[in-house]
Amino acid sequence: MLSRISRAAATIFLAAIIAFPLLYGISMSFFTNIDFTDTEAHFISSAPTLRNFMVALSNRHYPRFILNSFITASLSAILRTAVTVMAAFAFSHLRFRFRREILIMLLGTMFIPADAMLYPNYRTIAALGLLDTYAAIVLPSVFSASALILMLGSLLSLSSEYYEAARIDGASDHAYIMRILCPMMQSVVAALFLQAFIISFNSYLWPLLVTNRNSMRTVQVGITMLGFADGGEYGAEFAAITLIVLPFLVLLGIGKKHISGYLTSGVNR
Amino acid sequence: MSKRNLKAYAYLAPALLLAILFSYIPLAESIVSSFLRISQNGAVRGFAGLGNYAGLFRSEAFLRSVGHTIIFALLFLPLNTVLTIAAAAATRRKGKWTAVAEFIFISPMAVSLAAYAMIFKEMFRGRVSIISRILSTDIAWLESPGTAMLVLAMLGVFLDFGIDYILILSGFRSIERDVLDAAELDGAGSLRMLFSIELPMIRTIISATIFMAVKDALLISAPVMILTEGGPFRSTETVMYFYYLEAFKSGNRAVESTIATLSAAVSMLSMALIAIRRKHALKDI
Repeated sequence: MLSRISRAAATIFLAAIIAFPLLYGISMSFFTNIDFTDTEAHFISSAPTLRNFMVALSNRHYPRFILNSFITASLSAILRTAVTVMAAFAFSHLRFRFRREILIMLLGTMFIPADAMLYPNYRTIAALGLLDTYAAIVLPSVFSASALILMLGSLLSLSSEYYEAARIDGASDHAYIMRILCPMMQSVVAALFLQAFIISFNSYLWPLLVTNRNSMRTVQVGITMLGFADGGEYGAEFAAITLIVLPFLVLLGIGKKHISGYLTSGVNR
Repeated sequence: MSKRNLKAYAYLAPALLLAILFSYIPLAESIVSSFLRISQNGAVRGFAGLGNYAGLFRSEAFLRSVGHTIIFALLFLPLNTVLTIAAAAATRRKGKWTAVAEFIFISPMAVSLAAYAMIFKEMFRGRVSIISRILSTDIAWLESPGTAMLVLAMLGVFLDFGIDYILILSGFRSIERDVLDAAELDGAGSLRMLFSIELPMIRTIISATIFMAVKDALLISAPVMILTEGGPFRSTETVMYFYYLEAFKSGNRAVESTIATLSAAVSMLSMALIAIRRKHALKDI
């Protein structure tokens, strides 16, 4: 009994700490300008207002930033899912020369920190003439070794009977992947897609480096340079943040089981 | 080359191409460049031997950035480890409200780095910030070196919290019921169970999350960029932030390529350590 109470107390204390920045960020999106400059910091708005949201949404660039993020995150998720499923299919279903060597090479990319490769990758993108394009934002993050490991882990646990049966029925590999493999692996594929979408949508540094024009900026870069604060509109800054965080919070709530199942599938093996 | 081989290679081609183009070529380029003298406009001026490395280690700004990164790691790692283990331990037994608590603890995964950094900037801004009000002080957190680094470490915790929590929680939940029942029958109290039975049983997962955290700590740059821009007085300028400034603002190829090569080497060493520890886990692939 005592241990239940102490666990509950610890949970409440930690949950308060973890939830605070997000709740405060949302709270600030209802602040008036005076609330930000008052002599005592406010927890909640002295006169809750939706004005900040109007200011954010009527910003010339903000809607475009969101659109750009949505497009690049979708492209990134679609491409990563396709590339990962294809590669995992080859490793789990086909026998071929250099299988081991190629697998080691692909997984070896985990050892190369992307943050330290920013400059040469920037030069590659520039040399390809792709600066300020969606391709520049998306391409370097499409292949992910950890996504391949998780996908491959699931495919290896699949019985080979399905593949053999499909082949006897005369189905092509392509048809097998689309009609049998993906539907059977629905939850893994969905989690992979969702995770890739969130990672891409939330990425900051790379999109900052390869975009210059406002029309190509993603929203994560955009929210740090909307410049509301310069115009005294502090609240609008947090309204802009709230608007992009809330959908993900809802998505996380819905997909919680899938995502945690997917992320931890490597843990207990 | 048989037809079967070709088909497999076709399925692997996109992954391979991307891995080579965005991981192996830049790595090779960094290693080669780090031994060359390259001017700001990219012209190769000759062989430098170990000159670039010697220059890097003579650079006071670089050595200071190494120091800052170590201080960051020393603040971030204990905070991150203790908080994630505490949250997972507190919610490891399912009860009425654990689903709500679990959601709160994974919610940081939905919040982007940029959003958290902007919120933190406001939470700790000036002398009358909300955090100062809660703690009843008038510390200007982001304006003096020590506290600015502490805020940066707290921000780091939020960026990693969700995933670390999920991993550790699933570790706790994967412990067989029988083991726990047997210990309970022996009269082990809740805290003793946690520290002498459950935590030791999930030490592989905990050490994996710590390794990941070490890697994140050594590579920290983007949060610095938004929260402090290296300040105050360049006190939060970490190695990778220094790399970013030198590579993209100063066009210093010597510093850029040597830091890239060194961090790849450090990352490979640390990942190799994990791989050796977890060799059995990869055997069935």
